[in-house]
Amino acid sequence: MSVRTAATLATILALVLPGASCVREQARPPAGVLVVSQEQQASWIRNFNPLTTAAAARWPTLAGIYEPLFVFNSVKSEYVPWLAVAHAWHEGNRVLRVTTRDGVLWSDGAPFTARDVAYTFNLLEEYPALDRRGVWGFLESVVATGENTVEFRFQRVFIPGFDELVGQPIVPEHIWREVPDPITFPNENPVATGPFTEVRAFRTQVFELGRNPRYWQEGRPRIEALRFPAYPGNDRANMALVFSEVDWAGNFVPAIDRVFVGRDPEHHRYWFPLTGSTIFLYANTTRAPFDDARVRKALSMAIDRELLVDIALYRYSRPADATALSDGYAAWRNAEIAAAGDWVRHDLARAATLLDEAGYRRGADGVRRLPDGSPWRPEILTVAGWSDWVRASQVIARGFGALGIEAAVRTYDFSAWFQRVQEGDFDLSLGWSFEGPTPYLFYRWLMASATVKPIGESSMGNWHRYASPAADSALAAFEQESALANQRRIADELQRIFVAEAPAIPLYPNPSWAEYNTSRFDGFPSREQPYADPSPNKFDRGECLLVLTSVTPR
Amino acid sequence: MRYIGQRLGFYLLAAWVALTLNFFLPRLMPGDPATALFARFRGRLNPEAMQALRETFGLTDASLLGQYWTYLRHAVRGDFGLSIAYFPSPVADVIGTALLWTIFLAGTAVVVSFVIGTLLGVAAAWWRRGWMDTWLPSILVFLGAFPYFWLAMLLLYVLGYSLGWFPLGHAYGDDLVPGLSVTFLADIVRHAALPIGTVVLVTLGGWMLSMRNTMIAVLGSDYVNLARAKGLSPSRVALRYAARNALLPSVTGFGMALGYVLGGSLLTEIVFSYPGQGYLLVQAVRNQDYPLMQGIFLVITLAVLGANLLVDILYLWLDPRTRESAS
Repeated sequence: MSVRTAATLATILALVLPGASCVREQARPPAGVLVVSQEQQASWIRNFNPLTTAAAARWPTLAGIYEPLFVFNSVKSEYVPWLAVAHAWHEGNRVLRVTTRDGVLWSDGAPFTARDVAYTFNLLEEYPALDRRGVWGFLESVVATGENTVEFRFQRVFIPGFDELVGQPIVPEHIWREVPDPITFPNENPVATGPFTEVRAFRTQVFELGRNPRYWQEGRPRIEALRFPAYPGNDRANMALVFSEVDWAGNFVPAIDRVFVGRDPEHHRYWFPLTGSTIFLYANTTRAPFDDARVRKALSMAIDRELLVDIALYRYSRPADATALSDGYAAWRNAEIAAAGDWVRHDLARAATLLDEAGYRRGADGVRRLPDGSPWRPEILTVAGWSDWVRASQVIARGFGALGIEAAVRTYDFSAWFQRVQEGDFDLSLGWSFEGPTPYLFYRWLMASATVKPIGESSMGNWHRYASPAADSALAAFEQESALANQRRIADELQRIFVAEAPAIPLYPNPSWAEYNTSRFDGFPSREQPYADPSPNKFDRGECLLVLTSVTPR
Repeated sequence: MRYIGQRLGFYLLAAWVALTLNFFLPRLMPGDPATALFARFRGRLNPEAMQALRETFGLTDASLLGQYWTYLRHAVRGDFGLSIAYFPSPVADVIGTALLWTIFLAGTAVVVSFVIGTLLGVAAAWWRRGWMDTWLPSILVFLGAFPYFWLAMLLLYVLGYSLGWFPLGHAYGDDLVPGLSVTFLADIVRHAALPIGTVVLVTLGGWMLSMRNTMIAVLGSDYVNLARAKGLSPSRVALRYAARNALLPSVTGFGMALGYVLGGSLLTEIVFSYPGQGYLLVQAVRNQDYPLMQGIFLVITLAVLGANLLVDILYLWLDPRTRESAS
């Protein structure tokens, strides 16, 4: 019997030993193959459909396989002509004419023309499920008026519509008109204009995209192929990064200088530009006393933002200013107006004075009283497991405590939290804000009357339910204005309104996560060479294309 | 036969209850798939996109009961629709990419652990107070008490990263094309060694102890003494008389462990980036992907029921008393 045990053990060992005896395989892929970790999945599903909901298609379908008309560079705040070379407004800004690029070929050799652009947009009209930017909410018609001109006719003058139109990935008419259902089409062998179109291998745990032999940029991309290993979860992906298995990633890495850079300071690099969405503390303005701007400003002054970015974010960010604009809006931010917004500075004495003035005085026990005499004990909502937010909430609650407000931090499971926030069932909550090429979308979802939904009804933004008539007219003016100088003037006005009314309490701009290994490749954006946002996560307005066409093998 | 018929009837009922729960439980969660997807973008998706998302996922306002009937009819045909997290792949395809790997990895681990643990238990009880009885259970239980995630990470770090003895993850080498070749199969074994090894390591103690304890009780019973008195060979007494009876409780445990294989290998798969379905389930829950959740839950349910049926049949063979009462 013990013989049998021994026999079983011997079998097991025989199975295991080939692994144990062999020296570790060289994990390095062939030269010229860039290993990227952007999505975290246990296994890959083959889907390169750029039109269905963004999350389902493999990265970089939206910006790498397919391409938009213009790429938005969020570091420089400017549009880079891509499949289009120029645009102009006509007929009192009701018509947008876009000139498409000549000499671009689809990866199967067919020429790209303005008709492909018109076809793509008309497909979105036919299948509203594909219209993820809601462009047919303001469009009337899209027609190719020549080989290289497309005419977008608008229902009304709506200049910010430009931002939504030019980011749309364009698909080839000659392929897609044969597709019976573009919504469920997995598009396993994409025909596209982007730098990487050839699926060289596709297996459950790794896939490879080779370069487009007919790419329109002469001599680019310089990378031979992209390789995507499947890593489930952040821990495993970070381990791969630290051990140089991955060349480019967009993960959150805690204590990055020690964990990642420390292992190979020469090649392990990162750059986290603050171009992400600004994180806010939203105060529900339908509930007293948060409807009082003095109260919101006092709460804001009670927060020690320096401490907050230190504790919650490893100093990866900076305290927000009173315009709340992240560095993605650097070209729009008016420094003078930002400096005038002193209610983001940590100042307990002034905060206390403001609250006393507003009538929320401390009771005998030191806790401030609401008008009905009850102690003021608001709740701060945050998401369980989002450790940065949880730590930030604790710093905030401590600041409020010093002011005599006994705030309680409540962590909810994500969906439960999101439902409460959307329906307006909260006192105070952390939350993100919207990103875009101009501050229009950002401020619209912070203070436009049109975005306010009644309490109990689910809202996609403006969760704090704030309506500013002054902002309404400024936003309406912005919609009509195509001249950049005038747009800036209106953007200043919006910033002034935000600083004066404090609709929500900005905390910090989110960093854009990007880590890269320069031992095999060079030419990633960096603090020294800030030519674009370095993160692979910036795909929705085409920005990773700037990186993918610039990176060079050593 | 009637016994098996009865059991089958019971399993059908259990399957229906599970199907029903699979339908209603996910829908009790707050939110819906479109908002979950929207929220994942944390501000990078224009709020206008919501309408398109709802259209894509075909979220209807039909009554829950109506949806339930459609769901039951489709489930019977094995059609679970399109996954939302992996849109537009059918649920069956998504599960298909992962199921076999999970069955292979976790199934092998359970079987190996059960066989070795049981044999060790028999040996420990037979040579009582020997070194195997005194030291091994304590060591194994000590190892089993570690949080699995931690132990697996540690072993991966030491044996994989530092010493380089084992691959760092995945089911086979990234440069290998799957096929029926010796290199490929050897590579699969090489990649599975560490994940299986860690699972076996933490579960071995349980099997060994339970077998050892029952075995000791059985060894003291009259019929074993009789067998010994009759002068039967020690190995016959140990295996045919004592071990066979002592095995019964362990077999129940084995059946349950087999059933949990599909649901319980999540941590192994995450640590070793194994392309199994544990992670799929997490993704499904995170994205409120009802169709995928239903599909995976059904597979798990069927696995648990199937394993139990197997145990029932095994019992008939192992324990004559069940045969008596059944007929």
